[in-house]
Amino acid sequence: MNRKVKSAIILNLLLCVILLVSACSTSSNTSTASDNASTSETTETTQPTERILEDAMGNEVEIPANPQSIIASYLEDHLVALGVKPAAQWSIADGTSVQNYLQDSLNEIPTIPSDLPFEAVMSFSPDLILMDTAGMVEGDKYEQYSKIAPTYVVASDEDNDWRKKLLRIGEVLNKSDEAKEVLENYDLKAKEAKEQLEQEIGTKPVAILWVTAKSIYVPNVNLSSGAVLYGDLGLTAPQAIQEVSETGTANWNALSLEKLAEMEAEYVFIVNGKGVTKDELLQDPVWAGIPAVKNGRVYEYDKQASWLYTGAIANLQMIDNVMESILK
Amino acid sequence: MESVKHINKRAVASMGILALLIVLSFFISLNMGYIRIAPIDVIKVFIGAGTEENQLVLFDFRLPRMVIALLIGAGLAVSGAILQGVAQNGLADPGILGINAGAGLAVVLFIFFVQGTSSGLGMLSIFVMPLAALAGGMLAASLIYALAWKKGVTPVRLILVGIGINAAFGAALIIFQLKMNPRDFMQATIWLSGSIWATNWKFVVAMLPWIIILIPYTFYKARYLNVLSLGDHTAVGLGAAVEKERRILLLTAVALAGSCVAMGGGIAFLGLVAPHLARRIVGPKHEMLLPSTALMGALLLLVSDTIARNILSPSEIPVGLVVSALGAPYFIYLLIKTN
Repeated sequence: MNRKVKSAIILNLLLCVILLVSACSTSSNTSTASDNASTSETTETTQPTERILEDAMGNEVEIPANPQSIIASYLEDHLVALGVKPAAQWSIADGTSVQNYLQDSLNEIPTIPSDLPFEAVMSFSPDLILMDTAGMVEGDKYEQYSKIAPTYVVASDEDNDWRKKLLRIGEVLNKSDEAKEVLENYDLKAKEAKEQLEQEIGTKPVAILWVTAKSIYVPNVNLSSGAVLYGDLGLTAPQAIQEVSETGTANWNALSLEKLAEMEAEYVFIVNGKGVTKDELLQDPVWAGIPAVKNGRVYEYDKQASWLYTGAIANLQMIDNVMESILK
Repeated sequence: MESVKHINKRAVASMGILALLIVLSFFISLNMGYIRIAPIDVIKVFIGAGTEENQLVLFDFRLPRMVIALLIGAGLAVSGAILQGVAQNGLADPGILGINAGAGLAVVLFIFFVQGTSSGLGMLSIFVMPLAALAGGMLAASLIYALAWKKGVTPVRLILVGIGINAAFGAALIIFQLKMNPRDFMQATIWLSGSIWATNWKFVVAMLPWIIILIPYTFYKARYLNVLSLGDHTAVGLGAAVEKERRILLLTAVALAGSCVAMGGGIAFLGLVAPHLARRIVGPKHEMLLPSTALMGALLLLVSDTIARNILSPSEIPVGLVVSALGAPYFIYLLIKTN
């Protein structure tokens, strides 16, 4: 279990490809389907045209007018937010491990291995491939992928901003307005939640702890779930998490047990990846000194929840989790 | 004379069989993969009548990878055969001696410092990478040679120092890897365990000159290897410039291993196993041993890569792991038998 978690996290940092589901996977059927689609499109709405966009690596990418079968590497969250179904979804461990928090929208979608072998990509006959970051196509792989379908790299390796990614994907899929709307709705919801939380708990420190078999991790306050709770929701991070964030630039950074024992958190969110129950976990005396533990304000979420992911959908689910826990 | 002739005939026949097996595996491998292409469609593609999709899968995805597998297999195997001859020890291999680790370290440093991960690999870097690997391999080999030097180099010292150098370079690699971010770490790990899946024709072009020049050159040097294998005293007695030939042969082995590591990462055990298998079939004479080692190495890596591509399909496992899984038991068997 824990090994799976670990590799899931490492792979979280990797990109994955989402394939859009087409009615059929054989190329002849797919092309018929897209022909039909584009024909009917002409009569109904203004026909989107083929465009050339420059991607994050500087490639000039010819984006099809109306992509039907999209593979979007580890970008499912954004696609779901825009109402687009990918042809296949990211998976690791031979398709057994997927992004659970998105399965309401993706549960019928076939899986593709996270390292995107060429032939697996090709078997979905994509007409557009979106790559999360440049690292996914290192070593000249870009050229190979672009022989399968137009390949658009969404962000450089350093660029971790989900809003920018969402907007860029919106632009590529001709859904810029939808993308902006998603962001507006998100900001609105975050603002409401923020106001409620401010009234309810003020500046009492709130900790996020990701507990794995061997270590405990806390998010950088500006990244991942840290950005949602301490940024968008304006919650106060305990001293220890602020300190770790100054040096730890990864999404999640290890926290020493000494720091954990001294943590002055009034509320604690545990992302449980240890495979033991919350009660068993809290029996360890190291937790006993934390105010939240004394007052029973420890909330547990499974590692399958959206807390280890980033995107409009993941973040909205996190906000829901926070609200239902603290305000109940 | 008669018996020599007899052996040669047998050796040539064996090489013929090996070549035949390679051709056979080649066509089987071409047919296998996540996307199923019937043999008849494969033939259609080759006579230019296949679908565009099949053409892409075969010519751009499968073929370059298989050709690279053949080249790397031959290169590493011959490199191993040279080292075993020079060191007069059946346990020598570019992986065990630290030459792969040295080349690997150089390539990892090259990828992450010089080229950066944000841009794709340009044409230039693909051709420069073997040179970087060569420099790293050379550094490792020079260190081994210098540290093993004590009024000349004895084969046993060469091996022992090599194992030490291997450990040192391995440690350096780990230190460096720990400083990487997790994604780069994963990439480096996969690459170091030997992976050839992202291959295209550019890599083949970059690799080909090294193999085409160096392998025939070692065939030409086969007689020196024969003499060196007899032991230093005998070799000197037979009039060979032992130290000079040893250096030239070492350099050739390093260049072969370096260019292979640059393209395929650290594929362990191949350089060890292939010469041994070949020696069983054709005997210790290097004129016959080297070509059959090359064939054996090419065959083994092609088969291993076909397994790596298909066993967990559509996921792939690094080919180096397959070679290790097959090679390690043989290595242990060898150790037990040697004792």
